[in-house]
Amino acid sequence: MSKGKPPLNLIAGIVIISVICVLVMGAPVFTHYNPLEQYPEERLSTLSKAHLLGTDRFGRDIFSRTLYGGRTTLASSFLALVCSLVLGLLIGLTTGMFSGTIFDIIVMRIVDVLMAFPFMVLAMIITALFGTSLMHLLFVVAIIWWVPFARLTRSIVLQVKNETSVAAAKVLGANTRAIIFRELLPKVITPILILATFELGTLILSISALSFLGLGAQPPNPEWGSMLADGRAHFFQAPHVLLGPALFIVLTVLGLNFMGEGLRDYLDPYEIIKL
Amino acid sequence: MEDKTILHLQDLCVSYVQTGHEVSVLKNISFSLKEGEVLSLLGESGSGKSTIAKTITGLLPPSARIQSGTLTVAGHLCVNLTQRAILWNKIRGTVLGMVFQDAQLALNPLFTIKEHFREALITHKIGRASDVLPTAANLLKLLGFTEPGKVLSSYPFQLSGGMCQRVCIALTLCLRPSVLIADEPTSALDATSQKEVISLLKNVQRELGVAMLFITHDIAVANAVSNRVMVLNEGNIEEVGETQDVFSRPAAEYTQKLLAAHSIRTTVSAPQGLDAKPVIDVVDLNKAYSKNNSVIKDLCFSISEKEIIGVLGPSGCGKSTLAKCIAGIEPINSGEILYRGKNLVHLRGRMKRELCRHIQMIFQDARASLNPRYTAIQLVQEPLNYLNIGNKKSRKNKASTLLKQVGIDDAAKFRRPPQLSTGQCQRIAIARALTLDPKVLICDEAVSALDVCVQTQILELLVHLHMEYGFAILMISHDIRVLRYLCHRIAVMQCGAFCEIDSTDAVLSSGKSPHTKRLLECVYEM
Amino acid sequence: MCKTVFRRLIGAVVTLFCATLVLFIIIRLAPGDPIEIMLGRPGDLAIKNTPAYEARVAELHAQLGLDQDMLTQYGQWLKRLVSLELGTSIHTGREVSIEIAERIPATLMLSLAAILIQLVSGVVFGIVSAIRAGKILDHVIRLFCVFFASVPAFVIGLVLLMFFAVTYHIYEISGDANIYRLWLPAITLGLVGAPQLIRMVRANILSELGQTYIVSAISRGLPKKQIMRHALKNAMLPIVTMMALSFTNLIAGSVVIESIFSWPGIGNYAMNSVLLHDYPVIQGYAVIMVSVVIMANLLVELLYMLIDPRLRNRSRLERGLENE
Repeated sequence: MSKGKPPLNLIAGIVIISVICVLVMGAPVFTHYNPLEQYPEERLSTLSKAHLLGTDRFGRDIFSRTLYGGRTTLASSFLALVCSLVLGLLIGLTTGMFSGTIFDIIVMRIVDVLMAFPFMVLAMIITALFGTSLMHLLFVVAIIWWVPFARLTRSIVLQVKNETSVAAAKVLGANTRAIIFRELLPKVITPILILATFELGTLILSISALSFLGLGAQPPNPEWGSMLADGRAHFFQAPHVLLGPALFIVLTVLGLNFMGEGLRDYLDPYEIIKL
Repeated sequence: MEDKTILHLQDLCVSYVQTGHEVSVLKNISFSLKEGEVLSLLGESGSGKSTIAKTITGLLPPSARIQSGTLTVAGHLCVNLTQRAILWNKIRGTVLGMVFQDAQLALNPLFTIKEHFREALITHKIGRASDVLPTAANLLKLLGFTEPGKVLSSYPFQLSGGMCQRVCIALTLCLRPSVLIADEPTSALDATSQKEVISLLKNVQRELGVAMLFITHDIAVANAVSNRVMVLNEGNIEEVGETQDVFSRPAAEYTQKLLAAHSIRTTVSAPQGLDAKPVIDVVDLNKAYSKNNSVIKDLCFSISEKEIIGVLGPSGCGKSTLAKCIAGIEPINSGEILYRGKNLVHLRGRMKRELCRHIQMIFQDARASLNPRYTAIQLVQEPLNYLNIGNKKSRKNKASTLLKQVGIDDAAKFRRPPQLSTGQCQRIAIARALTLDPKVLICDEAVSALDVCVQTQILELLVHLHMEYGFAILMISHDIRVLRYLCHRIAVMQCGAFCEIDSTDAVLSSGKSPHTKRLLECVYEM
Repeated sequence: MCKTVFRRLIGAVVTLFCATLVLFIIIRLAPGDPIEIMLGRPGDLAIKNTPAYEARVAELHAQLGLDQDMLTQYGQWLKRLVSLELGTSIHTGREVSIEIAERIPATLMLSLAAILIQLVSGVVFGIVSAIRAGKILDHVIRLFCVFFASVPAFVIGLVLLMFFAVTYHIYEISGDANIYRLWLPAITLGLVGAPQLIRMVRANILSELGQTYIVSAISRGLPKKQIMRHALKNAMLPIVTMMALSFTNLIAGSVVIESIFSWPGIGNYAMNSVLLHDYPVIQGYAVIMVSVVIMANLLVELLYMLIDPRLRNRSRLERGLENE
């Protein structure tokens, strides 16, 4: 682990995410509009001093809806990701530690089957049969999103299991719990965190895409996805309606991607001879 | 006959920049190489010998800074090494050829050997396209291959380590360089391959009249291979001269230290009065990784209390696996391992950990066996924490005492492995192993990765601790010299079984099995 | 090697079976009467009590075998799937398999064009980025990658559509799938998937450049071009498996893009069917997609085994070259 200066993209990422979090959490401070209150006289008005990001087709202030909606979007995405991460970590640890056993083989088969279902397809089926809502989308996330974490954890565990450090710990009398916490987890944490930042970005993008198409959060809840679905109908007449949520989605995912890449560069840079 | 100087290096100063500060690696190195001669660069790790090779071929990493230095290669060029833009492609390959330590990694796994040769010869426009295969085949024959055709159409992963190295040497020589630089070419090979490659290398060097710069850490190999030797220590030249002169009448103190460390291990240790009671009994041990891959076959032997027994064998013979099985880290397929009469094989969980504490192990890679986030004193207390022995105060005291005994002073006690030397890491590993008062200490190639001087220190430490604490030692090694110094008995292992097990004297002087004889032949003596 | 191929094939078939089983279970788990689901949910009591309706219910009842146990139902359903009997669309009344078959060419056209764009841009920009690693061009390319990886596909699509169709009237807004309308959705889809490929190519090349065999090749005085040839050959091998991964993303992306550009492909069709609650169509779409993904993964694995000599020559390794 080289500890030089933190790279620019890592700092940029952290700054962007912090700003967004501050804006979203401190929504009452930054806007005085109620996200649900309608001002029909001002429907579909463009960006102005009164309404920073304009109004939607019911005359609701977009900026305030974006900030308040951000709470739902970010909180639910983050929570869904944390659950997937923990589940994936646990499954990856156990299959890695007990690799070759029936348990491992069964879990790997389950993973194969799950990977045959693209997220989009599964989401479409579930929402078609059970109804469209954000909760159902998050349910699909829970079924699928732990797989990349499990695979990464498992491959790291399989590799570390055979290293000298684990052999030494075993000889010295460490039980399985001690080996997991002292030897395995420290080596797993960093790659998993890097993967988590990227996966959170992908998650937000996927959910917003589905919501845009009408399968996710339903109006009138201010949530970035449902706002996108809302604004789709009038897009060509009033494109600014999508600006608020789209901008925030892009900035959030951008910040996450910067952080992920920055972390990767910081912890594992390449050293190459000049040709 | 005048000996022409083919290569001359003047006043080379190189430093590396790491996390802010600059570390000087080479200080004013100057030497010459005559036509057709072999000059050894002898030094321990960190002496800068590899850096010299990398500097004159332009292969230094971006973090290196060349402060001064001029390279002259007779008949070709004179280069100021501090320049930013040097036309390296005029020097590399055709003037200076290089052979690397790990031959299998030095070849592109997706190219056949044929393609490697074709690419090298055609790029440098040596001969016609139709001459490529015959040239390559001839060189390979020079390097001991009886069927060059087969080798040429193989991929690197289909060849053994020794074969890959011979191919690499042929590949470098096909470009007809004036100087061949060999950077630890045999360090990654086992004893038999090493002997083979070195003798072939000498032959081909003599036949083609190529000057050679041979980089090594092994005194005996340097003695066998070179005309002249240059001893390096921490970036400084300690001594230069004819090989025989330097090694019989060393002028520099450092050279004397190296020779002493090497020669101390030529005396056979006297057998002491041993307890007849066995502390470890191995009965019909069988281990296989898969159906066709049997690693240990029907092994039987015992270790007496306070005995030092060595296991000698080439890489892949199963000796490391044997060590892991006895220590309880690897499961076995059938057989028994008895510790003072109690069978360890079927124990699980708490019982296993209670009994196995009497058998401890230290590993080849000392640094890897220590968790880098803990200090030395915390590391030594680890096993006491795992098995819940004593309280905080007693554990700390025991750790302190042991650290002092292995030679880790108070300042180093609170440092972490990244801030400690490899020798210090191995000492900490030994102290940690002794915390549980084991009756058996298994050393799996414990000194193989250490420099010669440090090796001797650790071996002396082991002897000292053995006398004080009275534990038995099972020493696994491929190096006969180590076992000669340390052991009462030696077992020679091949393909999963002992072909011979007898007192050190008997094995080394009149090795009965042909395998032992072959291993003994591969040792370079001074 | 034949043994491994055989094992992979069996594995794929097993996975396919399990996947269809999972689909079957999900469909059965849905709330509501399965017959009502298949017929659409008529809210009008009048329709429900007509003899024609009752006849259809009886027909479906027999067809779905609802009085038999789950396993037989699954078996029958599977049999129908294999003979490509995917049911009848509630909305149009036509056979689902025909509806889907009509729309496959459009999706295929779009997907192939997009893959081509992704591959070309991925390889080209990945190589350029790796060669100029650390320099300005590399940073610019990486910035573009991060940016396009952060923008949702539909935003890119809408912005491009806005620009080319509404503002400049270059692009035609209609429901046709012809070659003149292909370029914009293909570019959009390509832009969405390219960053991942560019990043992977760059990372692979950079990691290969740090290997010993590259240093060894440099020491033999080989020029830059030859060195890159060494690194590229090794770096490109994993790209094949990468394509399998991006295939799944392509499916997701095509649904969104087809929707925005009114491209008459199966993605668009499936999405509309979801909103119309046309369950047989969604079921058929899911079955086809899952099968395609499994087959694509299998093909890629086999292809990888073919082109990597290390995997091809596994058995030769054992017989190896004896003491030379």
